[in-house]
Amino acid sequence: MIVKTLLAAVVAGLIAGVFMTGAQELRVTPLILHAEEFEGEAPAAGEQPAAADHQQHSSLNGAPTLGEMLAALSPVTPAYAHEGEEHEEGGIMFGMSRFSGTLAANLVTGAGFSLLLAGISLVIGYPITLANGALWGAFGWLAVHLLPAVGLPPELPGFPAAELGDRQLWWGATVLLSAAGLYLLALRGEIVAKLAGLVLVAAPHFYGAPQPLDISSNVPAVLGAEFAVAALATTLAFWIVLGIVSGFINDRFLKAN
Amino acid sequence: MATSTVSSIPLSLSDRLTAGIIALMIGGFLVFGAGLANSAVLHDTAHDTRHSYGFPCH
Repeated sequence: MIVKTLLAAVVAGLIAGVFMTGAQELRVTPLILHAEEFEGEAPAAGEQPAAADHQQHSSLNGAPTLGEMLAALSPVTPAYAHEGEEHEEGGIMFGMSRFSGTLAANLVTGAGFSLLLAGISLVIGYPITLANGALWGAFGWLAVHLLPAVGLPPELPGFPAAELGDRQLWWGATVLLSAAGLYLLALRGEIVAKLAGLVLVAAPHFYGAPQPLDISSNVPAVLGAEFAVAALATTLAFWIVLGIVSGFINDRFLKAN
Repeated sequence: MATSTVSSIPLSLSDRLTAGIIALMIGGFLVFGAGLANSAVLHDTAHDTRHSYGFPCH
């Protein structure tokens, strides 16, 4: 039964991961690729020449062209190691293409988040059902994406950022505190618990996220703004799909026994 | 959400906690590996995923 419960979570996560890959390819990945064109160049004092901007970024530019899709499936991987950083030998695992690497990472991440959500649900004793799955997903998104993004917005390649270890520590701590705070806010009735939840949610932001000293960047600000919204929107869709699919699988396959 | 009860999960309390803690550990390991682990191969494979999930990345 334990194994069945865990498998249900993994299946839900894999489904949500496939969905996430499709959503990413529409909007987020093109923005990452565009930003990489600017990455590694020295930040210029003047503005970017407008003529250099070949790609449009209207919201209608979602569908990848046939050529882009073929390029994504090609085993020849474009080099996108980040310049100016000392790197150990990198490269994509098992000679996968960039697209299949992203798909694999989304599947792993989806299964991981799904297991975390199911684990929290099991430990606190509130089942994820089809009826409340979207809420579960939305709260997952708040804890893992929106609240940390207040301090550390989703970055494009080439964006200035503080020390990686500091940011990861702040991010991890913020996710944990936000999750605990949201639990107290949403699922506990006592006023004291709600106040404590608010304090937990707000604490990392009063402490402050690590910020870079030099914020100049060659990546156009418009790309950064579009990317931040696109990343948050696709992750919200991912979490809501994850919650609903988890609830559906729980209702359908676990309750029956 | 508040109307759901524990009884709709067909697991005993200790099984529920065991399953929950196992799920948290495996899930945390997977998310850490895909999102945060400081390995160049993992980073490059998961590059676009890390960016689009907003994981702190390079």
